[in-house]
Amino acid sequence: MNSRMKQSLGAVILAVAAAVSWPAYAHHSFAVYDRTKVLTLKGNVKSFQWTNPHCVIWVMVQPEGGGEPQEWSFETTSPGVLTRGGWTRNSVKPGDRVSVEFSPLRDGSHGGGLNSVTLLDTGQKLSASFAASEKPS
Amino acid sequence: MKNPILRALPAIVAAALAGFAPLPLGAADVAAKDAINAPPTLRDYQALAKLPDFVGVWTPLISDQVAQERTNPPPWNAQAAKQIEHMYAEEKAGRPFPVIDHCFPTGMPSYMLITHNAFELLFTPGRVTLLGEGDGNRMRRIYTDGRPHPDDPDPSFHGHSIGHWEGQTLVVDTIAVLPQSYLAVNEAVGVPNNGDMHIVERFHLLDPVTLADDLEITANKLLSKPWKTTRKYVRQRSQKYDIVEGVCEQGSYTEAVDKDGNSVFAPIKFRNGVPVGSDSK
Repeated sequence: MNSRMKQSLGAVILAVAAAVSWPAYAHHSFAVYDRTKVLTLKGNVKSFQWTNPHCVIWVMVQPEGGGEPQEWSFETTSPGVLTRGGWTRNSVKPGDRVSVEFSPLRDGSHGGGLNSVTLLDTGQKLSASFAASEKPS
Repeated sequence: MKNPILRALPAIVAAALAGFAPLPLGAADVAAKDAINAPPTLRDYQALAKLPDFVGVWTPLISDQVAQERTNPPPWNAQAAKQIEHMYAEEKAGRPFPVIDHCFPTGMPSYMLITHNAFELLFTPGRVTLLGEGDGNRMRRIYTDGRPHPDDPDPSFHGHSIGHWEGQTLVVDTIAVLPQSYLAVNEAVGVPNNGDMHIVERFHLLDPVTLADDLEITANKLLSKPWKTTRKYVRQRSQKYDIVEGVCEQGSYTEAVDKDGNSVFAPIKFRNGVPVGSDSK
């Protein structure tokens, strides 16, 4: 195997790993996240994607013990569901300092299913729960 | 109007118009293929006001969906049960089977069984419409104008649905669902119906804020007997529940600007197995 072949094989393996650890963005089960665990991380928002079927918040997290900030990706539910929980597409903005509660990806990569996000400058806590939609309005 | 012909004119016109009215439909009637949708009348619209109060936005009672997974599972046949057992094991291991991890509509009957998204129910003359919020605002059309099912309908994800009222209950009969459409009990556990499925639903209000859909699903390719189950939906009058656009693929892309300065969608990139956030926002 020449080095170019090794490189492409590596790329293929990485692509497969990517497909396994993070589901495509269409509707899917949240079983990819370990719901028995709830972790908290603090960091600065890189971007917030307000799209169907699922919204995503990216946060730059300073690792304990120093080093470059690491990018984490937190998936949540749809704009419709979040709107009913009090969110807007501007609720979370790049640069916001946040504390994120999430269930981690089972394989330990830097992502999770969002439970809630707290804006540290205002104390506002935004929940990703469906619970509100089980009550009539 | 003394002239007897003029006096009789309205009746003559009515008789002439009646001649253009749709013929009574028979399933095998060739004329049915050319049937027209009669223009709705004031009376048709007034009749809608007398129907039970179903119109508006409803959200699924997800906690009840989850509870029913344990208390009332479908009577899977041996072959389906084996697949279902494997899917539950995979789900538990964190490898959920992608029942709806694509951009096809969830389809019937899973649309009613496992959705986490709201839908809006609308009445118009001769028709009940369900407009969903996920998967490209998936839609069910239920014809209530008395037509039969077509003799040989094209299969579709939501099938062909006809409905009629029995008192305060809307009874819906659905056939011609694509064999590939899943009968799912959650987003990671379900099997394709494999064809010849027949679904009868009874929509009725349990109380002013709760809509029930009693489903009876006959799917001989995967169930050992017809399965009866109920799904409940909660009324949402608050305008924050108004249905929003739900485009399935949009979340796989991020906002970008192309070389010509146009606003475009670009596929999200991945690094170390997780998607990378856009720098442009």
